[in-house]
Amino acid sequence: MSRFQEQLNRFFYDADEQVGPFLDLAPEIDASNLALPQETPEDFLAFSLEGEIYAVPISQVREILKVPPLTEVPRAAGNILGLMNVRGDMLPVYDLKRRLQLVDVAPVVRSAADVPRGARVVLVHDAQGDAGIFVDQIEGVVKLVLSRLEVAPNLGLERNCIAGLGRKGDALFILIDLGLALA
Amino acid sequence: MPQPPRALTDFVAEATEILETLGRDVLTLDESRSGEVDPDLLNGIFRAAHSLKGLSAMFGLEQLSKLAHRVEDVLDALRLGKVPLDDALIDSLVESLEVLNALLAEAAHETTTPGLASRGEALAERLRVMGEGPVAAAVDVLDHIGLDPQIRAVFTEYEEHRLRENVKKGVQLYKVRAVFSLSDFDQRLNALNATLKPMGEVVSTLPSTQPGDESSIAFDLIFGSAVPATKIESTIAGAATVESLTRALAAPPPSAPAWPTPSAPVPLHPQTSAPQRGVLEQSLRSLSQTVRVDISRLDGLMNIVGELLLIRSNLQRLAETTKQPGVTVMPKAWGNELQREARALERKLDELQKGVLDARMVPLVQVFDKLARLMRRLVRESGKLVDFEVAGGDVELDKLIVEELSDPLMHLLRNALDHGVELPDSREAQGKARKAKIRLNARQQGNQVVIEVGDDGNGMDEARIRQVAIERGLVTAQQTYEMERRDLLNLVFLPGFSTRTDVSELSGRGVGLDVVKTNLARLSGLIDIDSRRRRGTTFVLTLPLTLAIIRALMVEASGRTYAVPLNSVLEIVSVRAADLQTIERREVIEVRDHTLPFIRLSRVFALPEKPMERYFVIIVGLAQQRFGLAVDSLLGQHDIVTKPLSGRLRDIPGISGATELGDRRAVLVLDVGALMEDLLRPQSAVI
Repeated sequence: MSRFQEQLNRFFYDADEQVGPFLDLAPEIDASNLALPQETPEDFLAFSLEGEIYAVPISQVREILKVPPLTEVPRAAGNILGLMNVRGDMLPVYDLKRRLQLVDVAPVVRSAADVPRGARVVLVHDAQGDAGIFVDQIEGVVKLVLSRLEVAPNLGLERNCIAGLGRKGDALFILIDLGLALA
Repeated sequence: MPQPPRALTDFVAEATEILETLGRDVLTLDESRSGEVDPDLLNGIFRAAHSLKGLSAMFGLEQLSKLAHRVEDVLDALRLGKVPLDDALIDSLVESLEVLNALLAEAAHETTTPGLASRGEALAERLRVMGEGPVAAAVDVLDHIGLDPQIRAVFTEYEEHRLRENVKKGVQLYKVRAVFSLSDFDQRLNALNATLKPMGEVVSTLPSTQPGDESSIAFDLIFGSAVPATKIESTIAGAATVESLTRALAAPPPSAPAWPTPSAPVPLHPQTSAPQRGVLEQSLRSLSQTVRVDISRLDGLMNIVGELLLIRSNLQRLAETTKQPGVTVMPKAWGNELQREARALERKLDELQKGVLDARMVPLVQVFDKLARLMRRLVRESGKLVDFEVAGGDVELDKLIVEELSDPLMHLLRNALDHGVELPDSREAQGKARKAKIRLNARQQGNQVVIEVGDDGNGMDEARIRQVAIERGLVTAQQTYEMERRDLLNLVFLPGFSTRTDVSELSGRGVGLDVVKTNLARLSGLIDIDSRRRRGTTFVLTLPLTLAIIRALMVEASGRTYAVPLNSVLEIVSVRAADLQTIERREVIEVRDHTLPFIRLSRVFALPEKPMERYFVIIVGLAQQRFGLAVDSLLGQHDIVTKPLSGRLRDIPGISGATELGDRRAVLVLDVGALMEDLLRPQSAVI
């Protein structure tokens, strides 16, 4: 946080926001919950890749696009499917399947005609800027509690870009560390 | 990445501007040192430092505001004549500006540079010592001029100082009494001031101690001037009365120096030590992305938008007429009208494009000033005597280009100083003036801007260049025999070339002219060398006026479309597949008795190739060689807007960006020169 923001926060600090003393007076709150403050679940966007369900934090997702025409980028890294034009911004589209070793050969995607109907490009942003991820299908938004995530078991993969595993009922969500996955 | 808060960006933009003005003014101050220093200039600098202090304090940037405060103090002392204007002071000021810039960069990027804080502290301390300075002379000349003590009591410290300066100059002091009507005294006072200014200095304006009648007000202007009273009276034409203040024999008082000669100088001489330097070896690019636009340019744009709206309503009306029931439209008349509107639309869009491009233009002086400041320091440190001449700062270029230019120009100037010009003694031995010349000038030439960086030094030694190039394995001895002088000179642009064996402090930091060339290529610019033995070297940079829109040749290879900027294309030839020949299994073609390498774009890009009967070959020049780049077909020329690729894709050699064509698909823009260069490096065996 910049010093400037800190100053703003201090300026807008409102003593009324400190509700600590009043919590004791509220009858519904049960003592065990108070001791361990309730963690709010976070939203993740789930999508499928080769039948497995993956998820990324929704805070990193900017939008979901139909597969646009892609332009191959010669001599670029192997996991780059191509370049897409999003309202004038030229952004790379990544293929995670090869990175996750789901397939041996990256799919050839030059336009929407090459892919199944459900396929989409998820536009994500991280420290390196915006980028698209090619996915087979969008599965929706899922709420997961961060502290209950499992550590992925060691499956002998070389460079692991899996941040953890989340469960909701029977469904298993594989969380992806975008920074690692797009490297 | 969190966006910095808007207020901070605004602050950085404003602070950058203040620092730029400060830099310019300090240089002017340095130049005007020999003569009379314009008090207005000093005041301007002082005020700029003051606002910088205030601004940075507002944003809680302590170091910045502290240093700015010290600068302000020193300038205040200078303004009041408490400290002399000497080399040490100017150097400290210039250095402070650099540190202030670095501190501002920290604030803008929310990073910290090690050593910068302590450097700022040290500088602040130095300035503080300077600001205190030796106490002013004990003898106050003002005591000698018999000024009414009543008047003297109301003078501010600054006014007293100016008065003292005037007395020291030996000019007459006058009291100019003017009586103005209350209704318009402000205007008339200004007018009087303006009249007096050319003849001398208005030290102070005091409301008179003997006021006039009820409807008027009197002022006493304390005025120092070498012009006799009668002359002043005639010039101001009865607007006021003039009375001499000084005693009849106001001979200049014994010229006691206002400040004792600094026998025990304050420890301030800029013996800049090595660790301090490191902090400043940063880019000269500005921190702020802002472009200042004259409101009249925006008005012009607004007008065009208004006319576009008019055309839109015309088009709408045309569309409506076809929809109305019972109205039969004459297809021909309607078509003609539509065409007219389309033409008007095209014209207006052209104007709009031109207007927007104009708004992006900034004068080169923005960069030249920074370079001048840097050169001043470098020259002092180099021990060489150099006159640095700058011209053509008013030439305008696209803001993007101006920003990108600063580093290459800095590099060329460092080279000129370090490798180009000789030491004074050596120059004298050659019969040249001891003081060398380094020139930086710009001029517009049609659609291009030509910038020259020249020196009158020793020129480049092609024998030495040949030797080094062979030693480094850049060329074979055999190759060099066939080269002309110009080709030999161009070898210095090859990566890994640097003739100086010792790594110099100024320019030999592992990056060479190849970086300059690459940077320029990114701007679609060209660089050329004109070097004469013993006469000097001039680097000539040719740049397009704007980057935003360039003309490109659209080509197709294996069904993919690529854009090749036209300025990198020398010519286009068509060859039959049957005419291809091979040398050591590499394909070559013959163009007008020259054998050129033939490189297939499809193969370079590892695209599926299909046999063709005929290839279109784009001839590209690169340093001393030419190449033919083969494509399947040509799709014509287009005006394109090149968009940079995002961070992850930026470093692919040969691809400078992407653009969109009608179908909204991204089309890659090739940097043919870089592509060739990359392919021809020994380690790459793609061809």
